[in-house]
Amino acid sequence: METILVLTHVDESGSALTKASLEAVTAGVELARQLSAALTIGILGPASAEAANSAAGAVAAPGARLLAVSGEAFAQPRYATDAAGCEALCRAAQASIVLAPGSSRFVRVAAGVAHRLGGFLDTHITSLSSNDCVDATRWFYRQRVEATISREARPWFLLLDAGTHAAFAAEPATAQVEAVDVTLPTTRTTVEGLRSPMRDAQTIRPDAQLLFVAGAGWTKKQPDGQIHVAEAGQLILAFLRLSGASLGSSKSLADQKAEGPGEEQSVLPFLSHMNQIGQTGATPRHAKGLSTCCHGEEPHVVGWRFVGERRAISLDQNCGWTRGKADVVYITDAFQVIAKVNELLQARRS
Amino acid sequence: MSGPAIGADATAPVSAAAPDSAAAPVIDRATMEVDIACVGFGPAMGGFLTTLTREWTAHPDDPAFASKVAPGMPLQVLCYERADDIAAGVSGIVTSARGIRASFPDLDATEIPMATPIAEERVLYLLDPIGASRRSFALRVGDTLLRGFGGLLGVKDSAFELAWTPGFLHKHGGLLLSIGQFNQWVGSQLMATGLVQIWPGTPVCTPIFAAETGKQRYSVQGIRLADQGVDRTGAPADGFMAGMDVHAPLTVVGDGPVGAVGQALDQRIGMPPGHAQNEWALGMKMVVELPEDTPLKPGTVWHTFGFPEPEIFGFLYVHPGRLVSVGIFVPSWMGDPERTTYRYLQHYIQHPALWRYLKDGTLRSWGAKSLQESGKHGEPFLTGDGFARIGEGSGSTNMLTNSGVDEAWTTGVQLADAVVELLRAEKPFTQENLFATYVARRHASWLEREADEAKNARNGFHGGLVRGMIGMALAGLTHGKLSLGGTIPSAQQQIHPFSPRKVSGVKALEAELLAEDARVGGRPLHDALMTARGWPEIELDGRLLVTQQDALLMGGKVQAMAGFADHVVFRDPHLCAECAEKTCVAMCSGQAITQTAEGAIAFEREKCVHCGACLWNCAHTPFGENTNIDFRAGAGGLHSAEN
Amino acid sequence: MAQALQLVVCAGIVPDPLQTLEPVTGPNGPGLKNEMVLPAVLDPWAACALYEAAQLVAKNPGSKLWLVSLGPKAKLQQVMMTVGQKAVFELIPIDGPIGGFPDAHSTAAALAEAIAALPGFDRERLLLFGGWESATRGAGVTLQLVGERLGITDQFQGVDQITLREDGSFEVLERVEGGRHQVSVCAGTPAVLGWATGNLAEPRNNPQTGMANMRGIMPALQKAKTVALDGNGLRYVSVSLPKQQRETRVEKNMTADEIARELVEWIGAE
Repeated sequence: METILVLTHVDESGSALTKASLEAVTAGVELARQLSAALTIGILGPASAEAANSAAGAVAAPGARLLAVSGEAFAQPRYATDAAGCEALCRAAQASIVLAPGSSRFVRVAAGVAHRLGGFLDTHITSLSSNDCVDATRWFYRQRVEATISREARPWFLLLDAGTHAAFAAEPATAQVEAVDVTLPTTRTTVEGLRSPMRDAQTIRPDAQLLFVAGAGWTKKQPDGQIHVAEAGQLILAFLRLSGASLGSSKSLADQKAEGPGEEQSVLPFLSHMNQIGQTGATPRHAKGLSTCCHGEEPHVVGWRFVGERRAISLDQNCGWTRGKADVVYITDAFQVIAKVNELLQARRS
Repeated sequence: MSGPAIGADATAPVSAAAPDSAAAPVIDRATMEVDIACVGFGPAMGGFLTTLTREWTAHPDDPAFASKVAPGMPLQVLCYERADDIAAGVSGIVTSARGIRASFPDLDATEIPMATPIAEERVLYLLDPIGASRRSFALRVGDTLLRGFGGLLGVKDSAFELAWTPGFLHKHGGLLLSIGQFNQWVGSQLMATGLVQIWPGTPVCTPIFAAETGKQRYSVQGIRLADQGVDRTGAPADGFMAGMDVHAPLTVVGDGPVGAVGQALDQRIGMPPGHAQNEWALGMKMVVELPEDTPLKPGTVWHTFGFPEPEIFGFLYVHPGRLVSVGIFVPSWMGDPERTTYRYLQHYIQHPALWRYLKDGTLRSWGAKSLQESGKHGEPFLTGDGFARIGEGSGSTNMLTNSGVDEAWTTGVQLADAVVELLRAEKPFTQENLFATYVARRHASWLEREADEAKNARNGFHGGLVRGMIGMALAGLTHGKLSLGGTIPSAQQQIHPFSPRKVSGVKALEAELLAEDARVGGRPLHDALMTARGWPEIELDGRLLVTQQDALLMGGKVQAMAGFADHVVFRDPHLCAECAEKTCVAMCSGQAITQTAEGAIAFEREKCVHCGACLWNCAHTPFGENTNIDFRAGAGGLHSAEN
Repeated sequence: MAQALQLVVCAGIVPDPLQTLEPVTGPNGPGLKNEMVLPAVLDPWAACALYEAAQLVAKNPGSKLWLVSLGPKAKLQQVMMTVGQKAVFELIPIDGPIGGFPDAHSTAAALAEAIAALPGFDRERLLLFGGWESATRGAGVTLQLVGERLGITDQFQGVDQITLREDGSFEVLERVEGGRHQVSVCAGTPAVLGWATGNLAEPRNNPQTGMANMRGIMPALQKAKTVALDGNGLRYVSVSLPKQQRETRVEKNMTADEIARELVEWIGAE
């Protein structure tokens, strides 16, 4: 008989669970139902009781529990304290299966916690199923090989990729929260806060509907034999502003540095390796993706794995890298099209 | 193992002469002293280093293997290779493996990925089912007969199998190899000895010549590595790191037919009287994964001729694991300036005799390389003070048996034997001593005997396929006693001038219009002319028939590390703009050389596979013997181990 | 003030990024077809960690850099001929299985044991680096497990920058959600940093660096300890390539205006 713990944590407000945590709650509820297992939700945060209300509906069943560790030590993500808090929740829950969101906060500590509990951890889980036993699906080799795995050893920790489950939604209720005591370790790390990218810098925003992927073709010679980097930058920025898209880039574009001695800046100054998708970048989840000037680059191969509808603009009508991977490929000059798209989006706004 | 002495030499040696160093500023350049500096890691260097380390391992305490430049240390042997990986070689080969087996008597082919003993050899004459190839009257007569009596003669899938082939074409008992995998196998064993070092990703730009005193004209003192942190023109840029000078009493040059060090030696020293490297071919091949139900057995070897053009020979080799190497050779004697090898290869694999097996296959990798096909005629000075040349660049390829790898390996073995002899005798690596040991061994061996037999075997091809085949048979069957005569012009002279009136099967006006379209940046002329001549457009399937740009990305992608200069330089760009043939564009394996809208020629290092075809596919010689294209040392290239 | 650090970089080797991969199942579980044949490179994120570590060593005289790598000895050797030209380090090779399918917990145990046994190892001066994920397993857990086994509870993941301060403390930037960096200050070593890309360009191949490294790399490879990795009950139910192939509509003849209109409609309202 399995017992399931879903580890969750609060968002920056300190009083609500993150969306990814609520997705993990959904996964926990589904798995508990399939296995007829007892479900426990564990919450990590400075004021967990308040945040617990949004998950209260998940523990309505008899025997279900809601555990929380609270205190200022958990106001910010930090390995030493988070690991201690999670360890305490796991020991209190005595669960055989521990689900948690693959957030930066839990990615940092989950392995250590599993080790402390004598358990095993698998991450980037995209789906769970249970027949005789629990199977989990994840990708290997940068989303190029898909595998379904299973373990007999317990406790088994599973970090779920964001966006693979719907966020748990139930009427908030006043939850009966069991507070769990934690012996806090000495902390040597102080979290000073979050630093946003420089002004004008663009990043991959998972919440955006559309992922716009820029390839190295934007900085190559255009039909007139000239390079138009400045124009490319303006077109891309305008498109992002008008469409609300998130910006991704191929590695070769992110790698390019501006011309000039000692120049460390990227050729498109608003773009860094944070934008990179593909082999050494992200494989973000977006409903739609529009790739431009990426012929033969990794976005088509790897970075698009979790993008829903995919379209591409390429000058090469025979580009084998979009075939079978994109829904639509427009054979045309991206400069012209994006300029026109921007005009139309602007007109629609005004 | 301990390393050699490394120092910084602020005053660049005057003798360290890059071709254009006279005007170059003095650069703070690091220097290093080693005993043997090796350039290029291919089969020849594999043979050299394997033989050297064998003897060394067997006699570890032999003082011959003590360093002369770093007293107290073992012999310092360093090998520099341009490609990013020692497995990044390009060739699927069949070899009699005499020399290789002599080095590895107990060789088990299953130890080397993609290797297998040769099981079956066939020679096929391919008819042209499309009707677009340029066939002579004699060939057309032959084709008509074959078609007419096809049933009786066993013509199947537009292919006629030769019932008998002369023994010199066979490789009985030999091996079928992937050169990439073979190099990796040899290299791994070498490095495991800990005695020699092989450095990939390190192009050597030039030999270091001794001061030119006349007497020491042929004296080499080491090698210079390519500068890094430079712009495309080679000027120091961000993170400049001057290429190191590696000084060595002996430099072993095995950088292949288009290597920068070999070229520099030839330019400085010249060729022996009567020798010239006039005959070339571009070999281009695909590695294809066959469908699961393929009837082709590992070890199957096909040689083909007759299609896609009479001048183009082809091959299909079946490796274990349902992989085949399939490719063609486009020779310099195919005078047509429109030598679009990639498109020809796509037509070739679609010939019914091959397509029957390939059509459901998947392209796994692709590659191309130049072959030095002058044989004995192309043999340069093999030794000088402080240097010796081995492998393909030393003219070792046998043009009768179409065999190069085993011969290259053997030259390496012979040099190693010579070097060990000289080390033991404590004799310096002078021209005389190297000649008396290395060249003497080479000249006394089967290698030289067979090279002599093959010397004139290909002369006839300059008079057409039929004459060429007769010439080969004559030379082969008489062991070189008889052969067809002929004067072989230089590679650049072999390129016919482009004339709209002389494009076979295309009206002059149409050819002129296509040429004009290409000139203003439209479809490349060679591609347009092939279509005009009746070659069908390639129906791309995204799996086996893909664009040339996509082929560059197969099996590991072409790599070009940042910070190196362009290694293809157009000496006089105005001449390129005026050039009517632009054979370099047609022949560029990676489409790295292209024509701009203004009619000028551009080079993209990131697409170059280092095949070296541009070196011999320029029809213009504005600077004496040199063509208008300078092919220099560069890093990167193909990155597939399956080639 | 410069600090004499002990930097250990854990870095595996992975197939060269755009190689064609095909999973196969053998007697020892899943693997890649012709895995030993595929050209290998140092794991890209771990490579960033190595370059960052090398720069820290350069700025902090008296520091020492080890590269700990688990993989088949022959493949490690090949990769090191290139990597060895980019940064000065001492290689600690562990001869073990290739690829992403072995269990991360066993890999971590082998790495931790090798690190703890480093001659002159001083945990209190340790900065343990690696990639935040690998390009093989891509789990992002090995480094944390090594750290936990070594008792290090200051750990950072998705690191893009470390700035050492004079008092021995250091500031770390970690990638977090929303494209932002979390800024933390750690009082000092020991710490674990799993690197994202960092900000350094790939160093040039330096033959002198290579020569210097090779004096240690070759003997180390010859002495490399062989480990067998416990599967820890990890069972692969299935391993396959993604099968989804899309029907791609290739639009060759639409004008820029037409394409723009279609795209705007497709993008919809944000």
